[in-house]
Amino acid sequence: MSAAGVVYVVDDDPSFRKAVTRLLTAVGLSVQSYSSGAELLTHLSGSAAAEESGCVLADLCMPGLDGLQLQEACTEAGVGLPFVFLTGHGDVPSAVSAMRHGAIDFLDKCAPQHALLASLEQALERGANTRAVRVRREQLEQRFAALTPREREVLEQVVRGRMNKQIAAALGIHERTVKLHRNAITTKLGVRSVAELTTLTREIGLFPEPQQSCP
Amino acid sequence: MGVGAGPPLREVSAFVCVRTKSLTGEGQLQGRTMSLVTTLWSMQAAAALTLAVLYAVVWSIDRRNLANLMLCVVAVAMAIAARDEVGMMHAATTAQYGEWARLIYVPIFFALIGLLLFVQLFLGTGRLWLLWTIVGARLVMLVGNFLTYPTFSWQEILTLRHVSFLGEQVALVGSTVLRSWHWLSLASCALIIVFVADAVLRASRRGGAEGRRKALIVAVGVGLPLFITIVYAEAVLLGASLPLLVTPAFLITFLVMAVELSRGFLLTRQTRQELEELRSELARAGRVTALGQLASALAHELSQPLSAILRNAEAAEIHLNNPEPDLNELREIVADIRRDDQRAGDVIEQMRALIKRRTLQMHPLALSEVVEDVISLVHSDALARRVALDYVMTPGLPLVSGDRVHLSQVLLNLIINGMDAMQTCPASNKRVVIEARPREEGRVEVAVTDYGPGVPAGLIDRVFDPFFTTKSGGLGMGLPISRTIIEAHGGRLWAEHAPAGRGLTFRFTLSQAQGALS
Repeated sequence: MSAAGVVYVVDDDPSFRKAVTRLLTAVGLSVQSYSSGAELLTHLSGSAAAEESGCVLADLCMPGLDGLQLQEACTEAGVGLPFVFLTGHGDVPSAVSAMRHGAIDFLDKCAPQHALLASLEQALERGANTRAVRVRREQLEQRFAALTPREREVLEQVVRGRMNKQIAAALGIHERTVKLHRNAITTKLGVRSVAELTTLTREIGLFPEPQQSCP
Repeated sequence: MGVGAGPPLREVSAFVCVRTKSLTGEGQLQGRTMSLVTTLWSMQAAAALTLAVLYAVVWSIDRRNLANLMLCVVAVAMAIAARDEVGMMHAATTAQYGEWARLIYVPIFFALIGLLLFVQLFLGTGRLWLLWTIVGARLVMLVGNFLTYPTFSWQEILTLRHVSFLGEQVALVGSTVLRSWHWLSLASCALIIVFVADAVLRASRRGGAEGRRKALIVAVGVGLPLFITIVYAEAVLLGASLPLLVTPAFLITFLVMAVELSRGFLLTRQTRQELEELRSELARAGRVTALGQLASALAHELSQPLSAILRNAEAAEIHLNNPEPDLNELREIVADIRRDDQRAGDVIEQMRALIKRRTLQMHPLALSEVVEDVISLVHSDALARRVALDYVMTPGLPLVSGDRVHLSQVLLNLIINGMDAMQTCPASNKRVVIEARPREEGRVEVAVTDYGPGVPAGLIDRVFDPFFTTKSGGLGMGLPISRTIIEAHGGRLWAEHAPAGRGLTFRFTLSQAQGALS
């Protein structure tokens, strides 16, 4: 399989857990298995896990945390892992609820191998994407965090398309000082053009644009 | 023989022997042996008394069935009447004859009234006013009989005659003077015949095979002998040259009643057998229903090992496609497949055992195994309903004597009931606790407790009533069937309010098996 990342298998039935782990390992996936949702949550709260991308393959019906509750707990903990659910007896309300909460798929435990693997591949892909987005965002946030409050004020004016003269007037500083701030901003954020600056600012959701009223 | 050989009779017999010798010259033989009449009538009395005892026993078992008491009265009366008849036949003088004839009114009164009440109780179709008219008339005759001499019908017995009867000489009335009120006797006899005939006709007309059968029994067993006896007795009273005999015709009654009684016993046995079959059929239906409730959970229970087998087989295929397959891994996979197959097979075996029709087979059982089997069956269902199943077992619990399948059924029922009762409870409270502990006198008690809303205090005993249910989809047969099963084990099953103040506890007891600890 092409997708990278860890498949976290969560199932209370030891023999099924072992069998599915065996199969996924055989097709070349990296697998970690847990006998309960609580066990997985403990692992994910560890620092090492934050660096991994992956997806969860969980039994819907388990003692303690069931599959849906585990999915909820992961969302609450800020772990954006995609879920694929397995069930011995598929019931529609659970499936609907699972899909609404962003599950990739909802499969019978005896589902064909290709279906299972396709779902997992999709989940891993999404997991990797989510992680990539998250990593990039974290890096951006780090870069933006380096700005001083005054630089942020200048940045806001720049992003809104003001000229240096206007910025200087608005903030009550000298036009040359504005230029200095702008240089510092582009250096700290590692951007070359105003267009790039605007895109990045939008990406991390800084300075939401005021509601434009129609003339 | 009790009645037939009473002191007055012996006296009379001796006298008769002497007398017959003088009359026929054949007396020597009879003098040495008991007379045939005495023998036959004694046997008849004995048969009547035997039947009386039988009917008394039957009546004591079911006291509401007064018809049996009536037959007992009739039989006793017939035995006494037999004694009186022998007395009459062996009477030497008119005075002796009159005395016996007087006495025989008492058993005849009781026999007649007993028979009529029997007809009424047995068929229920007689006309009551007719019945009470007859009783009144016969009572007047009975009282009148003892206020006059020698009897109610005879004003005077003038002469006795002796005729040959059953190879010996017996006495019978020669000439008598009838009283004017003898018509009352005739009228009461006519009314008796009318009453019985009417009751029989109405019973047979009311229809039904059973009704017609009963009508036939009464017609042959009561109507016919009564008719013969009444016609015969009236003929004698009016002067026919015959001994006054009441009892022989009622041999028919005894015969018919004996047949009816043994038929009753046979039917009871058959009924009991049918009941046994019905009970086992009902228990099986209960098990199938319980399994039906568990169907989706059982499917899950089966799909677990099956899907493990599938994934293992798929993994094995991938390994086999490898140019250098990992044989150790493959061996492990095969071993796991085998184990999962065994697991699926066990589930199916348990289901099959519960579905099979079977009668109770008692064996020494380890309760822990039975409980674990049942828990493995309901495990998935409990999981799906988010009910925790707890199992508390006193260590060193003795083996119990019981039928594994039937006991599993009871536990299954009680656990499913408990889970059903908590349907509306918050998930954190859903718990069914199964406890087993030894009790006094070699008994073991099992308790199944739920933490549901319970039932109101007044209804706690009604939960065992057939068709009593608080569930929307419930049949109300689970608990009555369970109780039947436990009672067939010689134990008791009852319900209590759970100690926690919420929910119900069902307890049942079982006998400890003879032998060692489990």
